[in-house]
Amino acid sequence: MGDVEKISRIKGETLSSEHYFQSLLEQAYMAKMLSDIQLEKIQFDCLSLLAKQTERYNSGDSSSIRVEEAQNLLASIMFTIGVWLKAYPNPDEAVAAVQKDGIYALYQNGRERIDQLLKSTKMLHSSIIGNLVQTKNVFYRSTIVDGIKGFFKRYYPEFAAQEIHITADYPVHHQMESLLGIEFIQKYLECINYENLFCAQFSAEDVHHLLCGYDEHYEQLLFNIYEPVLSAAIGCILSGGDVHRLEMAPSSIKILDDLFRGKTRTEIVEILIETVGQLITLLELTEPLKRYISDSLPKIAELIENAVRLQTLDRVFILPKYPENNTKLIFSFGEKMDDEKYRKILEEIMQCRYLADKKALIKSEIHSLADLEDILLDAELNEEETLSILSELNPAEIAALVKKYPMPSALDRYGLRESQIALCECLQKFLAALPVEQQDLMKQAVVMLDSIEE
Amino acid sequence: MAFELSLFGGALVEKQAVNEVMKCNDLTMKFGLVLTEVQALALVETRSFALKENGRIEFGGGVIDKIINKFCDSPYLSMHNYEETLHELLETFYYYKNETLDLMSDDDLIHYMKNAFDGICQGSLELLAGRELYKLARNLRYGYAPDYSDDTIELDEDEEDEYGGC
Repeated sequence: MGDVEKISRIKGETLSSEHYFQSLLEQAYMAKMLSDIQLEKIQFDCLSLLAKQTERYNSGDSSSIRVEEAQNLLASIMFTIGVWLKAYPNPDEAVAAVQKDGIYALYQNGRERIDQLLKSTKMLHSSIIGNLVQTKNVFYRSTIVDGIKGFFKRYYPEFAAQEIHITADYPVHHQMESLLGIEFIQKYLECINYENLFCAQFSAEDVHHLLCGYDEHYEQLLFNIYEPVLSAAIGCILSGGDVHRLEMAPSSIKILDDLFRGKTRTEIVEILIETVGQLITLLELTEPLKRYISDSLPKIAELIENAVRLQTLDRVFILPKYPENNTKLIFSFGEKMDDEKYRKILEEIMQCRYLADKKALIKSEIHSLADLEDILLDAELNEEETLSILSELNPAEIAALVKKYPMPSALDRYGLRESQIALCECLQKFLAALPVEQQDLMKQAVVMLDSIEE
Repeated sequence: MAFELSLFGGALVEKQAVNEVMKCNDLTMKFGLVLTEVQALALVETRSFALKENGRIEFGGGVIDKIINKFCDSPYLSMHNYEETLHELLETFYYYKNETLDLMSDDDLIHYMKNAFDGICQGSLELLAGRELYKLARNLRYGYAPDYSDDTIELDEDEEDEYGGC
């Protein structure tokens, strides 16, 4: 019987977490807990408080203020009062406090509560900075370290308690409640903290390889790191992979696909809950972190349901990738000849009437790809001649040239010489004329060519 | 739940403002300047209009009494143009509060207006609003001193040309 809750006349879910005080007054008025006169008095008290705050805001120098600034000050007052009223166990008690304590007292209590929140959030932030996930993702660090520091620097609860100031680009996994000011930052950091705690169960290297499987250039992507890590951990348990290393065999996707195919969202959630139970035992997670993970499951179940339908389950359960093991080709363009000698050969080639003579000269005098590249750019060859010379080269040389002269975008063209653009176009034409298999091989070779020494 | 900022423009507040304006008559009487209750009410209405026009809101007594107290000893004010000038001054004041980006306090702006009105403008409201306050607002926006003038620069440039220019 101890758990029986008092029935509240105002339902908590009808109140806005963003504009709590305003929605509380609205609901209280609708529930006839506040009369017209009481409501008018509350409004007048709020505006009197606004007048007082305006005077402080202007440091007593100005009796008037812009309407927008007055609205911001009023929003700050409302938010501050709302922060205090949220601390009451139920909305009815909050309404009783509004009637009994008066606006000034509520505002003062709210200010004290915001100061406490600010202190505790700063402490949480320091602890998060000390235990960041070691990742190269730029958004993760720039938001959690620099962004939040920027918030603390600019946050001014006296006159703008409701402001967030930053955009908090890095997304957390949970759908963030609509909150303002310090409440938003506190909630955001709490989510980040839980996600960090979970990711810290795995080595930074394993997380890095997993994220490489998500995208090799994940450093520049704006995405939540916790989601693929949690999905991979669940996938490992379900398919018999190594949870501690987040490593699944390529055949695991088939196993998972068979497991989830034809299941409803509720059935998928049930499977996930059971799996997370095993995961929690394996990783020895704390109670609040368990709750956070459990709350993440409906979203993951939704992803799985869609992925099964679209046959993209490999994008939910990511297989790790090891880019350092990729084959690398290093190609040297060779040394350039003496300038004087090059000029003579170039002049001679340009004076040749026939392509056969030009090719003969190139074959006899040019011995490095670096020199050939210069000739292709400087000898004022037409398209037909260039293509003919390219046809004499071996695939590795073509790949090296394609790597150095890819098809330029419309914007890049502005920075290139006419002869460079012509060479790019000839190379693309040359590639297009090759059989499809050879084109694919050439593309692979271009990707693998990592560094070209000149 | 709409919290209307206009609640502060109610009849009670207006009446209080009219009373404050009427009290100024005690001081201005010795300069031969007196406002009737109707004129005081008109001034309060002008204040409300000017505030609304300039997107501002005012709490408390406002600046009407400050303007009256400052300007009442001006040699360019008489009973013939007293009320009309006050209306103009009020509208100009709120307009330039915005234009100066609230960088000047009420007292400083009124003081500047009075000096310019009695001095260089010789009682011309057009010169006050269109030239002197315009210059002041521009100087403040560009971070110059309030009394900074472009003429000084032109003079400096001329001097440079004369002595050191090549």
